[in-house]
Amino acid sequence: MSDATLTRERPIAVAPAHTATGWFRNPWRKPRFLQAVTIGYLAWSILPVIIAIVFSFNNGRSRSTWQGFSLRWWYQDPFDSVWHDPALRTAMFQTLRLSTLTVLLAVPLGTAFAIGIDRWHGRPASTANFFMLFSFVMPEIILGVSLFLLFTNLLESAVRLGTTAQFLGLVTFQMSYPVIIVRARLLSIGPEYEEAAMDLGAPPSQSLRRVLLPLLGPAILASAALVFADSVDDFVTVRYLSGPASSEPLSVKIYSAARASPTPAVNAAATIMLITTLGAIALAWFVFRRITRNRGEAVSAAGLAEF
Amino acid sequence: MASGSQTVTRPGRRGRRDARERSGVSYPRWYWPSFTFPGILWLAVLFILPFYVVLSVAFGTVDPLFRLPLPVYQPWWWSLDTFQTTLEKFTSGDRIYLDPLIRTLVYVGLSSLICLVLGYSVAYYTARYAGRWRWLILVLLISPFWISYLMRIYAWQSLLQPDGYVNDALGVVGVTPIIWIGRPITVVLGLVYGYIPFMILPLFGFLDRIDQHLLEAGRDLGAGSFQTFRRVTLPLSKPGIIAGLVIVSLPMFGDYFTNNLLGSTSTSMYGNLIDSAVGQAGQGPEAGSLVLILIVLVMIPMLYYLRSTRRSTEAA
Amino acid sequence: MSAHPRQRPSALSRRDFLRRSLGVAVALPSAAAILAACSKPGTTSSGGATTGTGARVLARPDDPVTLPMTQDPIPTDTPIEGGTLNVYNWDAYMYKKTLKAFEDEYGVTVEWTTFNNMEEGIQKLVAGQVEADVFFPTTDYIARLVEADLMQPLNHELIPNLAANCWPVFNDPGPYYDLGWRYSVPYTIYTTGVAYRRDRIDDAAAAAKGYELFFDPAFKDEVSYYDSYRDAIGMMLLRDGVTDANSSDPAAIGKAKDAILDMINGNGARLTINGTYAKLPEGEFSVSESWSGDIVGAKYYLPKGTPEDVLGYWYPEDKRGLVGNDTIVIPKAAPKPRLAHEFLNFFLDKHWGYQNFADWNGYQPPFTSIVPDKLVSDGVVPSTLASAVLDEKNFTTGYLQGELSADTDALWLDAWNEIQAGG
Repeated sequence: MSDATLTRERPIAVAPAHTATGWFRNPWRKPRFLQAVTIGYLAWSILPVIIAIVFSFNNGRSRSTWQGFSLRWWYQDPFDSVWHDPALRTAMFQTLRLSTLTVLLAVPLGTAFAIGIDRWHGRPASTANFFMLFSFVMPEIILGVSLFLLFTNLLESAVRLGTTAQFLGLVTFQMSYPVIIVRARLLSIGPEYEEAAMDLGAPPSQSLRRVLLPLLGPAILASAALVFADSVDDFVTVRYLSGPASSEPLSVKIYSAARASPTPAVNAAATIMLITTLGAIALAWFVFRRITRNRGEAVSAAGLAEF
Repeated sequence: MASGSQTVTRPGRRGRRDARERSGVSYPRWYWPSFTFPGILWLAVLFILPFYVVLSVAFGTVDPLFRLPLPVYQPWWWSLDTFQTTLEKFTSGDRIYLDPLIRTLVYVGLSSLICLVLGYSVAYYTARYAGRWRWLILVLLISPFWISYLMRIYAWQSLLQPDGYVNDALGVVGVTPIIWIGRPITVVLGLVYGYIPFMILPLFGFLDRIDQHLLEAGRDLGAGSFQTFRRVTLPLSKPGIIAGLVIVSLPMFGDYFTNNLLGSTSTSMYGNLIDSAVGQAGQGPEAGSLVLILIVLVMIPMLYYLRSTRRSTEAA
Repeated sequence: MSAHPRQRPSALSRRDFLRRSLGVAVALPSAAAILAACSKPGTTSSGGATTGTGARVLARPDDPVTLPMTQDPIPTDTPIEGGTLNVYNWDAYMYKKTLKAFEDEYGVTVEWTTFNNMEEGIQKLVAGQVEADVFFPTTDYIARLVEADLMQPLNHELIPNLAANCWPVFNDPGPYYDLGWRYSVPYTIYTTGVAYRRDRIDDAAAAAKGYELFFDPAFKDEVSYYDSYRDAIGMMLLRDGVTDANSSDPAAIGKAKDAILDMINGNGARLTINGTYAKLPEGEFSVSESWSGDIVGAKYYLPKGTPEDVLGYWYPEDKRGLVGNDTIVIPKAAPKPRLAHEFLNFFLDKHWGYQNFADWNGYQPPFTSIVPDKLVSDGVVPSTLASAVLDEKNFTTGYLQGELSADTDALWLDAWNEIQAGG
């Protein structure tokens, strides 16, 4: 690996490694400063979440002052706990429902788009590609507000605000992820495998099904996991497009609670969603391992890089 | 490797004459493009069409009773009055919208810069020096992607309360409790916290692929550690840096919820202007106008970025 | 520019707008818009809606309004529906235990949809995006909802509790915005004053300062003000001595706006909605604009070990301050109107309405059975918050906020816009 301390010949006039100046001048030493920065960043990144999870077991209402351990917000409180509060439960199921549906539609649409755009050249192709990329970097509030105006004016009798509208909005926003990931993978695969299949007489559909799609497997899985995680987290679009309270997913509930008077039950619900997402990612990981179990190292390593 | 010159014809298969020379595999002309049609149709209805509705609302009017927005779909009856008034709120009179715009530019610029410096350091370390901890660090780096952004900012909100742990920790070294919520620095750091994963992962991908041997070559030619970095690593990672900056800064322009959770009206951003206009009676056309202006503001760097990447790939 | 941009003639006549917004079947909504808009904007067909609500009289306490009956109320012998009742309300505004009692008594379930502010609630209701059986508007929207034909008149025989339990001012002749209570029943009444921490300022000093507490540098960064334009600007108008809480005077509104900006930028005030009931008890704020119900209900948010008497509330001694009430109405398209009537009657019941208030809300219902002194002696309201209790006199001396004309509303919203943009 890259950190191997090499005992090769050093350039002339460098002090030996065991002196201070030598240590400083050794180009292959581990940089303590960068190491500290990285560890500091990881702590800064993860610690607040861990604290939030811990506070879901707080005995009191506060989420900043520890008042003792209790399962009150998980199932004991008869009204406000996650187990008993129908609003929180509904929100969690709504989140799951939206995320699963979104993955089921966004990943095939995006994958097909990526495959097509990779092989299609010319002006129309680059225009389509531009709009896809634009939907990726565009601030989400633009999409949320535009879709809100669309569904409350032009399409108001076709689509009501609520789960359907949220689903449509989420797919639109998430579609660009599979496109980008699958496209990158396509570029690294190249056309050789398919050409070989063609030369062996496979018709286009078979070549697609038995050669291309399996090769794209890791990328598709990765984008599915990413779309799922991102949909669980999505807030701007679904908030503008939510209708009745039953269509508000957990992200909107957290936001409203954070602006009103949150109880640790919100922390508990968020922890549950976190575990669910982790479960989904772990599932994708295991499927990935199974698929690549019999494959060569090169393919799985390349796929992992995408993952 | 199969080359285009080997033609093995089979009877009864699809016509191979078409596009044989062009792509090296023989499919009918519209086979591949047809894969994009569902996606294009979807985008057309749910991405392009809403923009037209935004135009119709921005150049439309309001109903007389509840002052909800009434879009006008015929371009020949579009009225630019509200749009003009909205622009004027940036440029003339009290310039009430100018401050939020400038604040947004400053916050986004500052946050992107911090994301770059911090993200590059972390990505560099992970790619080059992490050794056997590499996979663990990668997993931890990816974790923000599947932990809800809202939960993370919400967690910070709890920590930054006057009686929260941040002030407690500062109290240990003797600092009096600081009011964090509502300060610009809190909003900037919140933005960094939320968006930095989008910087780290592309950068890591790029840095990871830099050939070790190039760096060794630099050493062999006598370059010091910093010189190698400056003249080999940095230029090689430039596309990654630009990509990271684009992915991080453009979405930030529309951010409003970070400010809502960690800031106050004196740190309001452009996204807050849109969000409050959408909710207020009689302000539908204004909201539409603000969205239009934002689209233009974001499209320009986006077009520039696409242009430059296309040019660089063509040159390569 | 002579006319305000929002005063432009609409492209559709009001009738067409209503048709669209009520979702009455048209082939394509865009077709209706296109057909109707084939005439040049500004040339409306009948009953030109050029000045919007100009033709209608705005209800005021000294100019009460009887709303027209748009249809007959549901017959008294309509059977009570089962199933789910859809309540469209602010968040956490009704006690879950009382709701459960309602569910148990009628064998139904209650589904709760929330809106974060009145504008959002109206927007979604008017656009038909939410199907509600009961709705909780503020009084200034009732006339407009009736004009847009979005509400149904109430059958008084099905709601006997109003005449039996409520203050006469809401019953006969009825509130000024709805004489004869044709469409609405009152839900809660409240005053708007200044809440403060009694452990940081004593009562006498607070009473001496009154509205100036928001500007006191001793409380820098510890001030909260309502993120709601009527309450925010209204209180500053009072501070300036403008007694018209529905003022259309641009100078007065400008002064109020400047005062709020001064509060925010100079004294670190923050605009919140939960500042009083959640943050003041926790100690994050020392002074906050407060509805009386918020401060009474704040005791449930006190951290363990903090005594109730740490909360204080100031309201003008002569009871000349902001006062108001919320209402419950039944939308016209309510799927279960009979059950909705039962719901209204239930919460006007002496026992259930009281439980909702005493054990949860803090917002007093206008019941004759509630005696202010008894509230204090029963411990429902701590004696330190006695100024937060209302009696009927409040509605004669206080300043009520009613509907604003489109022009005036635009003035207020423009000022609010500037405040929200950071000034």
